Amino acid sequence: MAGFDPVLLSVLANRLESIVREMENTLLRTGRSGVLNMARDFSCAIITGDNRLIASAEGLPIHVIGMEYLAEAMTELHDDIAPGDAFLHNDPYMGNTHPADHVILVPVFIGGKHVFTAAAKAHHADCGNSQPTTYMPYARDVYEEGSLIFPAVRVHRDYEEVGDIIRMCRRRIRVPDQWYGDFLAQVGSARIGEARLAELTERYGVDTILEFIEEWFDYSERRMQHVLQQMPAGTIVAEGRHDPFGPAPDGIPVTIKVTVEPEEGMIELDLTDNIDNLPAGLNESRTCAMASVMIGLFNSIDPDIPHNDGTFRRIKIKLREGSIAGIPTFPHSCSVATTNVAERLVVTTQRAIADEWDGYGLAEGSCAIGPGFAVVSGNDRRRDGNPYVNQKFLGSQGGPAGAELDGWLTFGNSVTNGLMFRDSVEIDEQKYPVRITELRIREDSEGAGRRRGAPGTRVTYGPKWDTMTAAYCTDNHFFPPKGTRGGGDGASSIPFKLLPDGSEEPLEPIAQVDLAPGELLGQLLSGGGGYGDPLEREPELVRDDVLAQFVSEERARDVYGVVFAQDRPAGELVVDEQATSARRKELRAQGGGA
Amino acid sequence: MAYRISVDTGGTFTDVVVATDAGALHIGKALTSHERAFTGIEEGLARAGDGLGLTARELLADADVLTYGTTRATNAIVEEKTARTAFFTTAGFPDILLLREGGKPDPFAHIPFPRPYIPRQLTWEIKERMDSEGDVYRPLDEESVLAAIAAAGESGCEAIAVCLLWATVNPAHELRVGELITEELPEMPFTLAHRLNPVVREYRRASSTAIDASLKPLMQDYIEQLDDDLVAAGFGGHLLLATSYGGSWRPDAMVEKPIYSVGSGPSMAPVAAVTYAEADLQSSDVIVCDTGGTTFDVGLISGGEINFTAETWLGGRWIGHITGLRSVDVKSIGAGGGSIAWLDPGGLLRVGPKSAGADPGPACYGLGGNAPTVTDAAVVLGYLEPEHFLGGRLALDVEAARTALEQIAGPLDMSIEEAASAAFVVAAENIVAAIREITIAQGIDPREIAIVAGGGASGLTIDPIARELGCRHVLVPSTAGALSACGAMYSDIVSEFSSTHYTETRDFDADGVNGVLSALEEQADAWLEELSDLGPTATSTELLVEARYRSQVWELPIVLPHRRLEAGSGPRDLEEVFHDEHERVFAFREEGQYLECLVWKCRARAALSSPPLEGRASPEHGGESESSRAYFRGRGFVAVTRHDGATLRAGTEIAGPAIVREPTTTVVVLPGSTLRVTALGNYLLEVDTTVPTAMETS
Repeated sequence: MAGFDPVLLSVLANRLESIVREMENTLLRTGRSGVLNMARDFSCAIITGDNRLIASAEGLPIHVIGMEYLAEAMTELHDDIAPGDAFLHNDPYMGNTHPADHVILVPVFIGGKHVFTAAAKAHHADCGNSQPTTYMPYARDVYEEGSLIFPAVRVHRDYEEVGDIIRMCRRRIRVPDQWYGDFLAQVGSARIGEARLAELTERYGVDTILEFIEEWFDYSERRMQHVLQQMPAGTIVAEGRHDPFGPAPDGIPVTIKVTVEPEEGMIELDLTDNIDNLPAGLNESRTCAMASVMIGLFNSIDPDIPHNDGTFRRIKIKLREGSIAGIPTFPHSCSVATTNVAERLVVTTQRAIADEWDGYGLAEGSCAIGPGFAVVSGNDRRRDGNPYVNQKFLGSQGGPAGAELDGWLTFGNSVTNGLMFRDSVEIDEQKYPVRITELRIREDSEGAGRRRGAPGTRVTYGPKWDTMTAAYCTDNHFFPPKGTRGGGDGASSIPFKLLPDGSEEPLEPIAQVDLAPGELLGQLLSGGGGYGDPLEREPELVRDDVLAQFVSEERARDVYGVVFAQDRPAGELVVDEQATSARRKELRAQGGGA
Repeated sequence: MAYRISVDTGGTFTDVVVATDAGALHIGKALTSHERAFTGIEEGLARAGDGLGLTARELLADADVLTYGTTRATNAIVEEKTARTAFFTTAGFPDILLLREGGKPDPFAHIPFPRPYIPRQLTWEIKERMDSEGDVYRPLDEESVLAAIAAAGESGCEAIAVCLLWATVNPAHELRVGELITEELPEMPFTLAHRLNPVVREYRRASSTAIDASLKPLMQDYIEQLDDDLVAAGFGGHLLLATSYGGSWRPDAMVEKPIYSVGSGPSMAPVAAVTYAEADLQSSDVIVCDTGGTTFDVGLISGGEINFTAETWLGGRWIGHITGLRSVDVKSIGAGGGSIAWLDPGGLLRVGPKSAGADPGPACYGLGGNAPTVTDAAVVLGYLEPEHFLGGRLALDVEAARTALEQIAGPLDMSIEEAASAAFVVAAENIVAAIREITIAQGIDPREIAIVAGGGASGLTIDPIARELGCRHVLVPSTAGALSACGAMYSDIVSEFSSTHYTETRDFDADGVNGVLSALEEQADAWLEELSDLGPTATSTELLVEARYRSQVWELPIVLPHRRLEAGSGPRDLEEVFHDEHERVFAFREEGQYLECLVWKCRARAALSSPPLEGRASPEHGGESESSRAYFRGRGFVAVTRHDGATLRAGTEIAGPAIVREPTTTVVVLPGSTLRVTALGNYLLEVDTTVPTAMETS
């Protein structure tokens, strides 16, 4: 660390993260759509003037990794960037995740030099697709998908709106006021970032800041190098598979080759052995393919290391052009790039690392956005029949177990890692003409293990008065989240329709359905995979799980080998230690629990 | 002579302040007595009485008001020692308290998923359902209620929390459940959610309710015992209890809603701060810092109004338990004298979040700790004098501090003092970042306002913190060590009445709203009437609405522009006030957008006569100081003057570097800063903010 003062390094790094959090707070508190302010489906980041990601605080992992490509598009497309500019960017062929993620980029100038770019990315309730959903799994190409695309288009000049662009959006986005409210919130957030970065640079001097940037990248690289040097050398080729749907009747296989080279302090994540692009919306954008395997990696190692360009120098990612999990070829649709296949890349990477490297990695977590996370639309008779469209975040599916901890319960899905908020039942019913009829933990859905996956939930909801359309993309129905190192798989995800007579009717995992009043959309959401042998789980923890109604007594006995005393006062449960050790012996003799 | 007494019972110390008619404040500190609050209070009173030549009983006999704040409720929650409580909820939604609102502080951090406030085995589902419009969708099945009550009783529950969906809009089912509990188990304490906290969002309301019910048995006993003990000791005045709302209540109100006791101690610090800042700085915009042993509490005052929040979490945002009620916004940062400095695998100097706490404590305490802490750094740098710490009660071990700091100095290739000063800057930076986020989230620029710093340890680090925030003025009250108890001295009796009534300004239900406002005012007036025996010097009511732009999700509290909102002009004027407030907080306004109005409120306030602020008595001997040395970043060891605060006359100016010692705090004045003794005897630091501390390198 010769030359640069270590105290200054610490102070400035802290300050950049703090600025990102200020940006996030602004966006959270001023956003308009539920996706944004209820679910927190947004992220902010700071990128250097030469387009390297430097700070992203607690952004959604799938959003922030690769933000640098957005800034790169801005600087490549425009040679007249000036203070007061802001750009709208959502083009997955130029570095974005998927078209529903609108990004505002604000270049930050100090003394005429472009030192930083402040970026605010938010998933919008609608992006002008041909159907009222931001996820178009069946779109054969971008034309059928139909989203408005803005390849780093200028929306502010001299701090004034470029009205043409705003009018285009208002004309084609289904909920123009809501979009515009979110747009204002994003611009406000990026402008807060701009002001703070300018203040910081003026206070400390541009030379100090430029020097700091390099030092911080070097420090981050050292941290990553240190982690990789601790891991044994090895290579594993891991396979995962997304559930079957339309153009992929056997499912979508994903293959990842992970190679750790401790002597070089490098890791390689090779995605070149994957199938070609499909005529569907499930193709990965380049950014999503790259970000997904990195999330799988970061899930697997010391969480304290920074996640920025310096860290990325130690990670080699190989992508193939024309691959579903690589660099897409135009005009394939990447409408659903941030979830389904992306999540399979995340969970396959972390599970592969867990399988191969003891103490590292995680089991597989729940994936995708089934009915519990559907985009619903229709008309609200309480508001003059005005149209509504928004994504619900009602369900809760299980996070994966790791070597030390049980899975995170309100996990969301495998690209958001529990960061997102859940909808309030009451707020949903107040804002939209829907009724939620049930939301509870789904018993026995957890992947068993020494550390167990988190259980999923059961959720049902439907329209109050008029037909509601729901679009969703379930995964984990045919291939539930896998356990690792002897841990069990989570329960399958099951979408269904609940009819007025109380009967349940199965639904296609990936579909758009209309629900009449009286009909309910439902999902049994999957649990996360387990880590290690369930017969090694501490009996007291199994007892807690039974009391919490995560695990039934039968499952405790048959999978965890834990037996409880029959004589019990109300609300109490006592482990029968003798019976438990006998039961565990018996199960071991039969070849294990899970 | 009539004294006014205030007491703040913290986890370790009980602070007692006695004010005379003339406004002189006498402070007494004692160790908190956990089994019986009065023991500690009596000892604190005795110490405070020393200055007046009176015993504790003599003081109590002549006191007309005693205001009491306590961490009892907070500690009971944190230590999971509240009552065994049942949770009754709408069928289909038994996991509200478990699932919370989602969110995780960090995507990659390894954090265990937190338990619910009330476990599933003590949760019962009530068969019923109201709709969002207040219609009965599923009638109440009383059998399910009776079964739940019986089961709760059999399971040994000592309290019941009832939270049904949409009871805020139609409370019929919740009220009936309450009646049935009273019929079946007449002695069972319970809380109905819509009465306690009629907020939309089931988790927040359920959490408020669960916490409140779980505190009822405990706080009832606690308050009754205190009352009995005070009366037995000859106290004939009024006992008031501090609330999380920054005001105080009569004991019966607190027994009814004990959740308002949570955080009541810290909520009083801003009351003291606003009083001192207005008197000494003529400023009504202030950041309030109050340091404890392991936390650094930050509050905000803007325009003379204490900042409130509906987001108070016990045990961490998103992963703890939300109180769900609007209360004085005091954010705790996990940083204190015990925070440990360490080097990460990349060689970066970090401070915290691990803390040596009070046990074993910093290495210099000599109680077995050997990790380098911020307090150790303060000793090595010469800021804390080993023989004067805690009034000389604990001798500090300088060598132990040096040995501990060697652990970071060696690898950093620094001298021990350089490493200590580096740790000091990094520790300050953690606080700077947190304060910036708190102020900016409220639309307040920290450079434009002053800091009031309380708590024993704040004077050590406040100068560099202010520097980096760009705050030029810091007021350290001479009573900094008992800031919360002092605040209780100046607090009013405050209560809030609220009612949910949804309407939009574009199609405004003026009759409905005005009806709600009248009913709220009546409740408030009746409440004020009941306080007449306290002889309030002034009473007032204020009407508010929680409103938001169309389809926003977070509301802003807005003071109504008129006491009634007439059709036509009323909603237009309300929109105008809202636009201004939204712009102030969020930096933009959306002209032409209508508002969604949710909860209507009436805030009632009764002011009691508080002691006048007394000027500093001129000491007989003035301004003795001794020469000494202390280490500052970028300068090394330099000569400093050390002053005994009690000897300084009002108006005295001291240029940094200097150190001022008070019995309960120490103020470090950096080179470039100036300290002035104010007319009231407080310390005003004028800080040179031009050079960042981190840039001062040797």
